Amino acid sequence: MGCDVVTVSTDTKFTHLAWREHEKELAKVNYPMGSDPTGKVGRMFSVYDEGSGLTLRGTFIINPEGVLLGSEVNFYNLGRNIDEMMRKFKANIYLARKTNEACPSKWKDDGDKTLVNPGAKMVGKVHEALNG
Amino acid sequence: MCDCECACAEPLKLGQRVPDFELDTYEPTKGDFGKFSLAAQIEKKRWTIVFFYPADFTFV
Repeated sequence: MGCDVVTVSTDTKFTHLAWREHEKELAKVNYPMGSDPTGKVGRMFSVYDEGSGLTLRGTFIINPEGVLLGSEVNFYNLGRNIDEMMRKFKANIYLARKTNEACPSKWKDDGDKTLVNPGAKMVGKVHEALNG
Repeated sequence: MCDCECACAEPLKLGQRVPDFELDTYEPTKGDFGKFSLAAQIEKKRWTIVFFYPADFTFV
C-alpha cells in the first residue's frame, strides 16, 4: 500500500519495548512505536495535553510529499474506529490518483460511486450524481 | 502560539506541508530501537499515518 504507520505516545522507547513484549494483545502489532517524551511532536499536531503530559487520541494522514490530508482527534475516553480510519486512508490514496473526483461519505473502495468533476453543474444535483 | 520549543509557530492545517519531525522508536519487527522521520518517509515516497495515544499499558 506504500504506507507506514507510526504510533506515538510520551512514553520512552524503553517503556514501549516493555509494553509490546509483555502485553499479549499486542503480539501481532508490528508498527514502529515512536517516543515523544517532551511532547514536541504532539504539540505540533495539537494533541499534547500540557496538564497531563499525555497525548490525545489523534490520527493524522500525511501524503508522500509531506502534506497533511487527514486529521481526527478523540478525547481520552473514546477509542477510534480502525475501519473508518482505513476508509479515509484508502480514499486519500484513491483521490491522489483521481484528482477530478470526490469520495462521498459512503465510499469504501475502488469501484464505489464517486462524484466526478464536482462543480457548478452538480449544485442541487448530488442525489442524481450519486444515484444516476 | 506558545512559548514552548515547538517545531511550529501555528497549528497545522489540512493541505499544509508538515514540518519535519523525528522520533526515537521501538521496532517490534526487529526487537530493537530505531528512528522515524518524516523526511525519510518523503524520500521513500511513502504515505504516513501518525497515530497518537495517551499512554502505554492503556487501550488504544
